[in-house]
Amino acid sequence: MTVEEFKLPDVGEGVAEGELVSWLVAPGDRVEEDQPVAEVETDKALVEVPSSYDGVVEELFAEEGEMVPVGDVIISFRVDEDGEAAAGDDAEAEPEPEPDSPDESAAEPTTEAADAEPDTPAGRTFAPPSARRLARELGVDVAAVDGSGPGGRVTEADVRAHAEGDAGAADAGGPDDGPEPRPAPTPTDTGSDGRKSAVSKRGADDGSADAPATPAGGPDPAGRETTLATPATRKAARDRDVDIDDVPTDQTRDGEAFVTAEAVNAYADALESPASTPEPEPVETGPGTEPAVTAGDASETSAPASGDETVPYRGVRRTIGKQMERSKFTAPHVTHHDTAEVDALVEAREELKPKAEAEGVKLTYMPFVMKAIVAGLKEYPYLNSELREDDEEIVLKSEYNVGIAVATDAGLMVPGVENVDEKGLFELADAVNDRASRARERKLKPAEMQGGTFSITNFGAIGGEYATPIINYPETAILGLGAIEERPVVRDHADVESEFLDDSDDSTVVPAPTLPLSLSIDHRVVDGAVAAEFANTVMEHLENPLLLLNE
Amino acid sequence: MVVGDVTTGTEVLVIGAGPGGYVAAIRAAQEGLDTTLVEKDAYGGACLNRGCIPSKAPITGSGLAHEAGNAEFMGVHADPAVDMGKMIEWKDGVVDRLTGGVEKLCKANGVNLIEGTASFVGEDTVRVAHGGDGQGSETLSFEHAVVATGSRPIQIPGFEFAEDHVWSSADALDADTVPDRLGIVGGGYIGMELATTYAKLGADVTVVEMLDDILDPYEDDVKRIVRERAAELGVEFNFGEGASEWSEAPDGGYLLHTETEDSEESTYGVDKILVAVGRQPVTDGLDVANAGIETDDRGFIETDDRTRTAVEHIHAVGDVAGDPMLAHAASNEGIVAAEVIAGEPAALDRQAVPAAVFTDPEIGTVGMTEAEAEDAGFDPVVGEMPFNASGRAMTTGHTEGFARIVADEETGFVLGGQIVGPEASELIAEVALAVEMGATLEDVAATVHTHPTLAEAVMEAAENARGQAIHTLNR
Ligand SMILES: Cc1cc2nc3c(=O)[nH]c(=O)nc-3n(C[C@H](O)[C@H](O)[C@H](O)COP(=O)(O)OP(=O)(O)OC[C@H]3O[C@@H](n4cnc5c(N)ncnc54)[C@H](O)[C@@H]3O)c2cc1C
Repeated sequence: MTVEEFKLPDVGEGVAEGELVSWLVAPGDRVEEDQPVAEVETDKALVEVPSSYDGVVEELFAEEGEMVPVGDVIISFRVDEDGEAAAGDDAEAEPEPEPDSPDESAAEPTTEAADAEPDTPAGRTFAPPSARRLARELGVDVAAVDGSGPGGRVTEADVRAHAEGDAGAADAGGPDDGPEPRPAPTPTDTGSDGRKSAVSKRGADDGSADAPATPAGGPDPAGRETTLATPATRKAARDRDVDIDDVPTDQTRDGEAFVTAEAVNAYADALESPASTPEPEPVETGPGTEPAVTAGDASETSAPASGDETVPYRGVRRTIGKQMERSKFTAPHVTHHDTAEVDALVEAREELKPKAEAEGVKLTYMPFVMKAIVAGLKEYPYLNSELREDDEEIVLKSEYNVGIAVATDAGLMVPGVENVDEKGLFELADAVNDRASRARERKLKPAEMQGGTFSITNFGAIGGEYATPIINYPETAILGLGAIEERPVVRDHADVESEFLDDSDDSTVVPAPTLPLSLSIDHRVVDGAVAAEFANTVMEHLENPLLLLNE
Repeated sequence: MVVGDVTTGTEVLVIGAGPGGYVAAIRAAQEGLDTTLVEKDAYGGACLNRGCIPSKAPITGSGLAHEAGNAEFMGVHADPAVDMGKMIEWKDGVVDRLTGGVEKLCKANGVNLIEGTASFVGEDTVRVAHGGDGQGSETLSFEHAVVATGSRPIQIPGFEFAEDHVWSSADALDADTVPDRLGIVGGGYIGMELATTYAKLGADVTVVEMLDDILDPYEDDVKRIVRERAAELGVEFNFGEGASEWSEAPDGGYLLHTETEDSEESTYGVDKILVAVGRQPVTDGLDVANAGIETDDRGFIETDDRTRTAVEHIHAVGDVAGDPMLAHAASNEGIVAAEVIAGEPAALDRQAVPAAVFTDPEIGTVGMTEAEAEDAGFDPVVGEMPFNASGRAMTTGHTEGFARIVADEETGFVLGGQIVGPEASELIAEVALAVEMGATLEDVAATVHTHPTLAEAVMEAAENARGQAIHTLNR
């Protein structure tokens, strides 16, 4: 048996940390390689983290709701000897001399190496350029840094640790000093400091509504009505004097909470440990309990009044917030409003609908709008551009990748549909439906939310006429769609058949389906006149959908 | 800029628009510094106009023709004819595109361009003389300067360059006819690249070299492969002989006279003589002394690890700052100079500068040889993969050579590599990355390489060094 550390792996491109939403395993669980061990929410998505070891969970080093940097140790596993070879990242670089090698020189240098000085000669330090540069920046002599990599290779983390003072003292972040030292929090304090779990606050969108979100292995009684468990587990619970309905778990079978023997034991262990006598459960337990502000919760901001609910500003919510802040405070927005009269568009869709249905496609107005936008963008390429201020350049995009804002339970997501100019109406309809439904299920890949060149927000689907959309930065423009409804419009006499008209009127007011448009632009890149012209082109194509044949 | 003698100021003045200078200027401008680049001749410097790029075009052209004409073994029969005029035209087109690109890039990044020859007036001013009569000059004051004036071919006494028969490398790259007989003085990398090219184009090439082998800085087994292949192509080598003079021959050609140390004389009948005996820094006319800078006895400007000269706010990069006199080293130094000027924590701390020789087969090297590693105090372990064991090499018809990797036995750190064989110039990049990153043999060996590729040879060499190679016998 050896103990292996499992670090939070790279959970998405450019993601540096994630919120550990829930543990899927508990100490004592036997885990197979690739089995999901935790759910982690990053800026971009909710991901399941698969184990890279076969073994038994020894300790969990993070609590649910905690932000964990990528690369931090989150679990230690006891691994059987035979399973170790596959996973060992500390395997020695030293090759074994071939036992039957006819060449004895292969073995000879090894003996020499044994008494060789560990210091690398000639002042040569083995560190990548990035670490060397960081060392210069921090005024650290790379040669003096203890490397934690293979063969003593110096990493950026080593340089930082060295800069932060006595290299030995600063290894809280990870196994900086070689294989032996491992951060070893006592298993029993997991989850016991009353920090509340973010996932439980989101509650409703969590499939297993009743499953408690308190950390598995923690001492807080779960208090379920019913629990699934094997007879052996139930016996274990009896033996340890534990109510099986109180044992926390994240596992479910057929929608019911499922408890393993390991979970029972972990829970019982935790209860027995003096360090973790159950504390009053904070906020979750309900309105009756006192608002527990434990040390972990204390903050400088105003203390919440009793009854207030604090919800973590993290994950998707925070990402949206940051993105909005950046857009609105960077790009001076101007919003242009106009209304398209879309009788012909409504008719065109009605005509195409049966055909679409026959092909299994749900045809909305969205594909028509996307096509009309492409027509506009081709004429006014600055609306399909990106301002790179640092480079002092505006990049006019060659692709027409249109993002569609989708409201999801977790918040706003803007998946993109690529190369709108090259796709047919039905194809677009399919793509939009697919992206939107996957956005709601949170199954979008991060890449699918990148690379947009222009965005649409269809707030009219919920209701309303006009809005002031915020640009999906660093794009330059966004088009908001109001609801298509019959509204009064002024029409030429000649265009209206009505017995009530008398010949003296040149024009009259009639009801007609209209589509209110709200176009926000980055005024640094384009001026209002161009925005208006672009809107005119889009409207022209919406009012005469035959023009879309050209797109 | 205004014509006439007026003084303008700039934060960063870069002298010379070769791969050292233009890169420094662009990076300085990117750093937000007001940057001026002075070039007296052509954007891109020696590299783009008379060196790296123009030499690779005919190497490829001649190689292609030769290969096509010698592929009967794979069932290809061809007798290619080479139109030299057309080939030079094509090469010039490539050069124009690249140099035009350099100029555009500079402008797009906001670098002020001045055409003219710069010379120091003092520690913070230069005078720029504009080309041509009566074009006037201007005085420029600067806060920081980067000297990137490059190098030029060394002339040897008695062999003043004269386009009709005594060629510099630049002339050899512009000739639109192939001489019947070409004498090459100097068996360094430039001489050998051109020897290979002209041999493949059908010239009878004679190389005269003072030392007793070609390609002085390389290891014996590396040199041997290139030398033997060149001999196969018909190149004749005369080692231990120095060129002493030339004379006209009665047949309308010339006689190249050589002399050994023991004053033994020989003569070779040739139609052109290419002198490629090295390059010297260009500092004449620059009046660096006016700025308080001294050059060493070979004319190079000495710099520290931040590319600074003895006068701290004046930097020197590229060939003018000495070895390794390679374009990519010049660019690397240019970037460091610009970043140091911008106050960033940059320094010349590269572990190794790779080098390539575009002979047949190519050579690519980086970092330490086994002997150098030993001298440096390492306990080196070496692994090799011969290309005749590489499936991909066999299917290209080029199986000469090997890939070798040198590492520290104890830690496994990759210290260097020597590759001679097909595409060695490309393959060496991986070893360079390993050296620079502090990668170990295991890292290289455990990196999955595409099959079938020549690059697998690097992985195999690493495996071999660990005694675990699959496709070669382990040493
Ligand atoms: C035939 C040949 C093949 C080569 N092949 C390769 C190769 O394959 N790979 C490789 O890495 N290297 C190769 N080199 C070497 C490479 O060309 C040089 O290392 C590189 O050009 C050096 O760059 P630099 O910026 O230092 O100087 P240069 O490229 O020489 O540029 C200096 C510039 O400064 C200008 N200048 C000089 N004095 C002044 C002044 N007083 N005022 C204004 N302007 C001035 C010059 O006109 C020139 O444009 C080759 C060289 C030759 C000759």
